Amino acid sequence: MTKNGLFSAQVTLATDWLADCAGCHMSLLDMDEKLVQLLDLVKITSSPITDLKHPPEGGVVVGILSGAVNNTTNLEVAKMMRDRCKVLVAMGDCAVLGGIATLRNFFDMDEALKRAYVDTESTVDGFVPQSPELSRPIPVLPVDQVVKVDAYLPGCPPSPEAIYHLIGELLIGRLPVAGGEYLKYD
Amino acid sequence: MDKIITIRINGRPVRARAGQTVMEAARSVGIDIPSLCHHPAVTPLGACRICLVEIERQRSLQPACTFPVMEGLRIETESPPVVAERKFILQMLFSEGNHYCMFCERSGDCELQALAYRYGLDHWTYANPYQPKAVDGTRKYFFMDRSRCILCRRCVRACAELAANHTLGVKFRGAKSMICADIDDPFGESTCVSCGTCLQICPTGALVDRLSAYTGNETQVERTKSVCLFCSVGCGTQIITRAGQVLRVEGEWEEHNHGVLCEMGRFAPFYEQRRRVETPLWRENGVLGPVSWEEALERLAEKIRMTPPDRIGAWSTTRTLNLTLSEFAAVFQVRIGTRVHVLESTLGKLELPVGGALSDLLVSDCILVIGGDPLTDQPVLGYNIKRACQRGASLILVSENGNSLRPWARHSLPPSELERAMKMIQASAAPVIVYGADTGQREAEALKALKRKAQFIPLFPASNGYHAKVLGLRFGPGREVKDLDVVYLMLGDIQTPEEGAHEARKAGFLVVQASYYGPVVQAADLVLPALIWAEQEGSLYNLEGKKVAVRRAVPIPQGMVPENEVFTQLAALL
Repeated sequence: MTKNGLFSAQVTLATDWLADCAGCHMSLLDMDEKLVQLLDLVKITSSPITDLKHPPEGGVVVGILSGAVNNTTNLEVAKMMRDRCKVLVAMGDCAVLGGIATLRNFFDMDEALKRAYVDTESTVDGFVPQSPELSRPIPVLPVDQVVKVDAYLPGCPPSPEAIYHLIGELLIGRLPVAGGEYLKYD
Repeated sequence: MDKIITIRINGRPVRARAGQTVMEAARSVGIDIPSLCHHPAVTPLGACRICLVEIERQRSLQPACTFPVMEGLRIETESPPVVAERKFILQMLFSEGNHYCMFCERSGDCELQALAYRYGLDHWTYANPYQPKAVDGTRKYFFMDRSRCILCRRCVRACAELAANHTLGVKFRGAKSMICADIDDPFGESTCVSCGTCLQICPTGALVDRLSAYTGNETQVERTKSVCLFCSVGCGTQIITRAGQVLRVEGEWEEHNHGVLCEMGRFAPFYEQRRRVETPLWRENGVLGPVSWEEALERLAEKIRMTPPDRIGAWSTTRTLNLTLSEFAAVFQVRIGTRVHVLESTLGKLELPVGGALSDLLVSDCILVIGGDPLTDQPVLGYNIKRACQRGASLILVSENGNSLRPWARHSLPPSELERAMKMIQASAAPVIVYGADTGQREAEALKALKRKAQFIPLFPASNGYHAKVLGLRFGPGREVKDLDVVYLMLGDIQTPEEGAHEARKAGFLVVQASYYGPVVQAADLVLPALIWAEQEGSLYNLEGKKVAVRRAVPIPQGMVPENEVFTQLAALL
């Protein structure tokens, strides 16, 4: 039962991360007591920081993705989120623009993998993992080049206030547009 | 007087001068039209198109930075079509190159980023799989990341128009266009003179100063308006500091140098390798050891009291402030009664006029340079001479064997042919004579005949030569050091040669006031520390004869005393 009796049902929201540093979700948690207030109105069905990682099959109203798409798993996660949510938000510079990970696009993939798994200064007897279970790296892309995105919130990371504003806008039925103090690229 | 006309901007009547651009007219009344490639110090180009405005009866949107005002013009600067077009242009700019702010040095100060905020770009419409362009890190002081460049060509124009150096250009066409130097040389091996004007004028993070990169953006730093102390041009500067540390120096756009500085003033001070003198030092049993200010000055005063004035000698550099020079003269000349000298020429012997300004060069049709090499020693003045040549002034260089201005000189004459040069000056409309310390006495006599005809700019070898000249301080050894019992050398931060130390060592008792260790300091019996450029506060006269304010940008280090106060304290003990 919600404290606010006006809402018959909470709005369902799912978040997930792709290739990112977790900073955007840190910023989400940085809402502190506002996050607790939001929980009265919003039901977070799944997120990278809860036990349930994937949006429920029945779908959610709002889906939030952070991070760029940089491997086949990210592709699947992004497509699943798109399929299961009504409004998809790209949160953070990586999801919106591609971000730091796009620097990898300037190198040959084998070269990049070798640098990461073999040539790293601290690595001894390194090898590039080849298991078929592992996802395959692909060129780094922002989310909207893989699935349709409805709203964008850039920022590295977006401020907790900006995320709060974004969710607030969605709750009153508006498609949020980042602007003014909520629009930051760094 | 230009004709005043009336135009309407956003429905508001605006008075403008005929010949102004729409941008200038709008900005003069506080209407902000955004710009990227435009900069008031360089010629408008209309390259970036971000300043497009709607002008009545024009077929399409027009760039405000190049469109001249006309009577009755009606302009809309933020109408829906204008805003839509600007957003489109921004999207195009962001679709090409590396415009990821999160790891850019200029984030927060970037003009491109500011516009993206202003027009609310929350994502990029066009995919940005940009082709990286080469980073050039061959320059000592700053590097260029061409992927962050928006090809506004401000640097190209600053190089050509302000430094008159024409090093920068653009190579290739279309999406492959990029800034290059000379015939595509690495910047570090090009004709670049490291004046850093391009670095200062760049609107994005394409040009980055190595030392001050990532040390703080505009909201985190302080700016102190001051004056460069490294030559007599006395360029206006802004010293950028954070938490008592100097980060970098920029040229002041509103001063006679119009934002331009040179390598000596902008970069070299940050690469100073000499060790600072931090406390007074006293030589005891042949070794210099720290001693308190009170003790140092007490012992010095005693030494001076015990020595007859004619056996005391005092020399000062002229690379110092007005008050330091006048206190120095007051204490040693008036109070102690010895003759004082300065270490750099004051051009006093030449008895030629002064008072010419850098701006005189730019409107001059004939410039005579004699007895100096301004392009090497007073570079910003040298750049102005080159600018004048670019505008059609003829440069006459009078020297024994030419100097770095030689390639720009229309006539290069030996001093024996000064007569010919003077005839050319007589025949010109607005001549300027730039004379340096190597001007011969005979030539100076001859040039006096042009007193009424020409403007005279003196090339003092050190920053405050003008004041030393006004004070009547003489340049030169004056007396044999070996005849002196006490020698006081006020060196400030100047570089001293080994021979200087050899000569100074002949003194009975050598006192050196200096910022840095060097051969002369090592030879001294008493060393007093001196401040360095960013710590100085006071005034000086630049070579135009204009009194300019030098402001302290960082606190004086603990245990340091400003030079003029040292003289005052010393006088009180005598």
